[in-house]
Amino acid sequence: MAHQPESFLHKIADGLKTWARINSPWAIHFNSGSCNGCDIEILATLTPRYDLERFGLKLQGSPRHADVLIVTGPVTRQARDRLVRIYEQMPEPKFVVAVGSCALSGGVFHDCYNVAGGIDAVIPVNAYIPGCPPRPEAIIDGVAKLLGSLKAPAPTPAAANEQRD
Amino acid sequence: MQTLLVLVIFPGGLSVLALGMAYEWFDRKLLARLQNRLGPRWFQPLADTIKLLAKEEVMPESVNPYLFVGLPVVALAGAMTAALYVPLLGLPPAYGFVGDLIVTIYLLCLLTLCMGLAGANTLDRFSLIGATRTLTQLFSYEAPFLLALLGPALVAGSWQIGDITAYAEQHLLLVTQPIGFVVAIIGLMGKLELPPFDAPTAKTEIVAGAMTEYSGRGLALFHLGKGVELVVGLTLVAAFYLGSIANPLDFFAKTLGLLLIVVGVQALLTRLRIEQTVGLWWRYGALLVLVQLLVHIVWEVAA
Repeated sequence: MAHQPESFLHKIADGLKTWARINSPWAIHFNSGSCNGCDIEILATLTPRYDLERFGLKLQGSPRHADVLIVTGPVTRQARDRLVRIYEQMPEPKFVVAVGSCALSGGVFHDCYNVAGGIDAVIPVNAYIPGCPPRPEAIIDGVAKLLGSLKAPAPTPAAANEQRD
Repeated sequence: MQTLLVLVIFPGGLSVLALGMAYEWFDRKLLARLQNRLGPRWFQPLADTIKLLAKEEVMPESVNPYLFVGLPVVALAGAMTAALYVPLLGLPPAYGFVGDLIVTIYLLCLLTLCMGLAGANTLDRFSLIGATRTLTQLFSYEAPFLLALLGPALVAGSWQIGDITAYAEQHLLLVTQPIGFVVAIIGLMGKLELPPFDAPTAKTEIVAGAMTEYSGRGLALFHLGKGVELVVGLTLVAAFYLGSIANPLDFFAKTLGLLLIVVGVQALLTRLRIEQTVGLWWRYGALLVLVQLLVHIVWEVAA
C-alpha cells in the first residue's frame, strides 16, 4: 500500500527522506492523566546524563513542529479530546510512543469508569514502553526501536492497526 | 555566467547555506560540551532541514496564504543577500558599494521582521505574543548594535564594508574600542535570539513563539535563515573588531573564537524577561555605546 518507488531518482529521494526522519525525530510530550511518574522519567531522559540530543531528538513546544508524540497516563475522560486534538495537529508523518503501563492498558486504573484504558483506545500507537515508571534506559530503548522500525518502509499506523484486528 | 556562479554556488547560495548549517552544528555541539553531554552528530542540521522539507505543511484557516508561504522565502532571501556583502571565508565581498553596511544590517533585520510578521499573520494566541516579543526585541537591540558597528565605520571614515575591513587590518579595533566590541557581541546574541535573549521563542511560556503554526517547508526556510544570520553576524563582528579576515583559516579561527564567547554566555545565563531585555538594552547597551562614540569624538577633537 506504500507507493512503490518508480525510478532511481525516486529511490534516492525516498532513501534520503527516510534517513532524515530517522536521524531527526522531534518530540513533544503530553500527559493524559498520568501520576507524573513517567513524566519525571521522561524529563530525566532529556537531561545531560542520558542526553537524547545525540540521537537528534529535541523537545519542541508546538505540535506542529514535532514528529513523535510521547504520551503518558491512562486517557482520562477530560484529557481524551485534548489528546485527539494534539494528535490531529501534528503534520504527517507522525509517530506515537506510549510510555508506562497506564498508557499501555490503563495500568492500575484499568476498567475504571473515567479512563479510556490505554492510549491505543484513542489514537494509533507505534511503540509501547512498559514499566511503572520505565527507567530512562528503557525509554531510550523504546525510542531506538521505533527509529529502527522506520528503516523498513513502514505502513501508516492506521493500516498497522487494521492489520492487527 | 559568473554572476550566476556567485549567486548560486559561491559565495552566495549553497555554500552560505552549508556554512550556516555548519555553524549551527558548532553552536549546538559547543553548548552540549559545556553542559557536560555529547551533543548532536555532524550531519544533524542537514538531517533536520531535509526532514522538515519532507514534512506536510499545514496552513491554518484564517491566514493570508500568500504571506504564509512567502514570508519564509523573503526571510531566507534577505539573509542570503546579506551574505554577499561580507567577507565570507576571508575572501573580499562579492559585491560592494558605498553604504552597504547599512544595507547589510537592514537585510539581517528583514529576517527578524519577517518572523515577527509571520507570527502576527497566523493569529494564534501564542504566535501573536511571540510576534510582539520579537518586534519589541528588534526595537531594543537594533540601535545599540548598529551604533556598535558604526564605531569602526567612524574611525575608518567610510560606510563601505570593504573599506572598513581594510582599515581594521591596520588597527586592531578590539583594543581601541573595547566597549563597542562588547556591545557588538552581545547585540549579536540579541539579534540571533540566543539565550539569554530568547524570550520571543520561550518554549515553556509561549509554545514556540512566532513560528508556532509553521511546519514543513516554512519552518525549514526560517531555520536555514537563522543559520545564515549566525554566520553573517559573526563575520561582520570578527571583520570589524578582530582585525579583518585574511584567509579561510583566519576566518574559521576568528569566527569560532567569537562563537565560543557567544556559547559561553549562552550556557551561563538564564532567559531574561522581555521587559528586562528592553530595559537592559535601552539603559546599559545604548549608554555604553554612546560613551564609546563620545570617547572617539573627544579623541578626534583633541588630536
